[in-house]
Amino acid sequence: MSAYLLQAEDVTIQGEGVTIAPFSCALEAGSRLTLLGETGSGKSLLAQAIMGTLPRGLRARGRLVIDGETFDAADDKSRRALWGRRLALLPQEPWHALDPTMRAVSQVAESHRHVAGRDRRHAQQAAWADLAELGLAEAGGKLPGELSGGMAQRVAFAAASAGGAPIVIADEPTKGLDAPRRDAVVELLARTPESGGVLITITHDIDVARRLGGEVVILRQGQVVERGPAQQVLTHPQSEYGQELLGAEPSRWPRPAPLGETAQAPVVSATDLAKARGGRELFRELSLTVRPGEIVGVVGPSGCGKSTLGDMLLGVTRADDGKIQRATGHPLGFQKLYQDPPAAFSPHWRLSRLLDDLVRRHRLDRSVIPPLMARLGLDERLLERHPGEISGGELQRFAILRVLLLEPCFLFADEPTSRLDPITQRSTLALLVELARERRCGVMLVSHDPALIGRICDRRISLGGEPVSEVRQTLDPALA
Amino acid sequence: MNGSTLTSTRRLFLPTLNGRQRLGATLLALLLAFAWLVPWLFDADPARQQLTRILQLPSLAEPLGTDHLGRSLLARLASAVRLSLGMALLSVASAAIPGVILGVIAGWRGGWLDRVLGSLADAFLALPGLLLVLLLVAIAPGNFWALYVGISLVLWIEYFRVVRARTRVLVASPQLEASRLLGFGPLYLFRRHLWPELAPQVLTLAAFGAASAILAMAALGFVSVGLRPPTAELGLMMIELLPYYHEAPWAMAQPILVLFVLVLSLNLLAGRDPR
Repeated sequence: MSAYLLQAEDVTIQGEGVTIAPFSCALEAGSRLTLLGETGSGKSLLAQAIMGTLPRGLRARGRLVIDGETFDAADDKSRRALWGRRLALLPQEPWHALDPTMRAVSQVAESHRHVAGRDRRHAQQAAWADLAELGLAEAGGKLPGELSGGMAQRVAFAAASAGGAPIVIADEPTKGLDAPRRDAVVELLARTPESGGVLITITHDIDVARRLGGEVVILRQGQVVERGPAQQVLTHPQSEYGQELLGAEPSRWPRPAPLGETAQAPVVSATDLAKARGGRELFRELSLTVRPGEIVGVVGPSGCGKSTLGDMLLGVTRADDGKIQRATGHPLGFQKLYQDPPAAFSPHWRLSRLLDDLVRRHRLDRSVIPPLMARLGLDERLLERHPGEISGGELQRFAILRVLLLEPCFLFADEPTSRLDPITQRSTLALLVELARERRCGVMLVSHDPALIGRICDRRISLGGEPVSEVRQTLDPALA
Repeated sequence: MNGSTLTSTRRLFLPTLNGRQRLGATLLALLLAFAWLVPWLFDADPARQQLTRILQLPSLAEPLGTDHLGRSLLARLASAVRLSLGMALLSVASAAIPGVILGVIAGWRGGWLDRVLGSLADAFLALPGLLLVLLLVAIAPGNFWALYVGISLVLWIEYFRVVRARTRVLVASPQLEASRLLGFGPLYLFRRHLWPELAPQVLTLAAFGAASAILAMAALGFVSVGLRPPTAELGLMMIELLPYYHEAPWAMAQPILVLFVLVLSLNLLAGRDPR
């Protein structure tokens, strides 16, 4: 019997153009392993290979030792009996993992009953206790659709861990969460190793890796680029890619060029805005202005109305009260960048077709496209593909291209890079800021990362505490 | 490059067919060929009676034999398939087009318009489909148009409901909002965003709808409230040949087999891989 709770020996994955180089690890009770890497680096596949949930067409090879029992990684059915009891997976987007027609507490109780084998009454009690411990006591009777992202995440965690599995695999647990919620999730995850389990976290958030500590593995294109203790890897990376990855942290970004003169008429200004949603007041007496070329950051917890504010400025949503004045003479000057790039495109058409539609609709000058594409680092050949066939970063840059062709005066960027990995995020935002300055386009940038906002924005608006009753508008002195 | 262009153009106009759908399409194509080639190659009148040659076995002169009035079964079957398919096509088109248009309008606009159209559809749904058809047929017995209007009135609701539900989701989606902000009009939004999402479901419904229209017509013919003799119609042929099933089982089997293959081919075409 080994002292290790989980051992992987030379696990490789192959098929459909994917190759993951042999990966080994040995984790004893209480240890943490973080797989860090960009989209497509194969980090999720490794977790799926351990669970035995690889998508069709992919084959794993190698040996796994779980709790002293040896498994062949190729036989993906062999680990099914361990699911929930020894192995638990916290899925990537928890709201997809929850049953939308079932109340939160019942979903947790179901795990207690059928996985942990408690009777109905005890399962119900245990579920309520779990939820109360996670600060969800009042959310137990709600349906997943009524929960916020962070709450759904915690419910999914409670359901996944109800079986008491000592080995927990968390796949991008903090995707799309704001800073305080992210920290709460990290704390939640850290409970597993503290109580003698093993935690494997897959993330592209360096901050999460740093907070979790333990061993860090940096992956790129299926290869282990670097591995070692978190402290060492995340402060003095040896590999070039590791250095690049760390350099992409917002706190290390260079500051954008100064705004220059600020006396120009604002592109959009709002006075005394108020908005309530679902009987809850989001904000009141909110006033703001955005000037040409200015980058205004909006921060606040999830569900505080950041996107609603932007939509109101764009004229997509109505304000309950207050006045919005937009610069005249730009009927198409108010544009938006979306959080999830593929969601902003019809997946059925080639990008060239979509671009063509835009050019024809507004009789635009075609000659400006190639230089702008070169500037955005978009290859001409990408145009032959469908939106789903290029990476998120490329698609977001294509979205920027599409928007810039209309020469916008105000751009609402709703977490445009939260689904991109750090290196892509950095380059995308740097381009956005540069182009906004150059073209005198006011940008309202929403992000849940205060470090990012603090770094690149000229001004910051922060919305909401939990029960939003008052609005604080902080005007940071120009950080230059 | 060339390959991907080919597949993507095909994807836009015809959904890629899987094995079962291909089988369905082949069967349907064979039936179509049969229905339209027979009158062209054989000089046969489906209504010509030859009382000296009743219930004859298939021969060179009459490849499928004759019925109890000495009429050529080949000609009658071909004519019946033409009638069934033509009527199915007509009723599917006249159910799908208003169904899709009203569904898009209701899902897009929402509000009172959605409620009015929704209640209209619910009102039709409250009547059992066959009853509605029977009602219309009772008003105008033996009339092709009554049959057609009745079947279409039953069928459009499916399109309306599916399209409305799907449109409602799509209209609120970022892709539509983005295109709207970029200055595109409703027609463009329909063509680029809505139709590609709706088309596979509408086409599936259309194939099923055609099958149920054919079955409805045959059922009405069989209980003698549909079309009147001497029209060659599958249900009518079955009931006419029923008294002679002992002497000429092969004659009666023919319309049954044709109806079976017709409905099977449409159902195969509609059924998608449940993966």
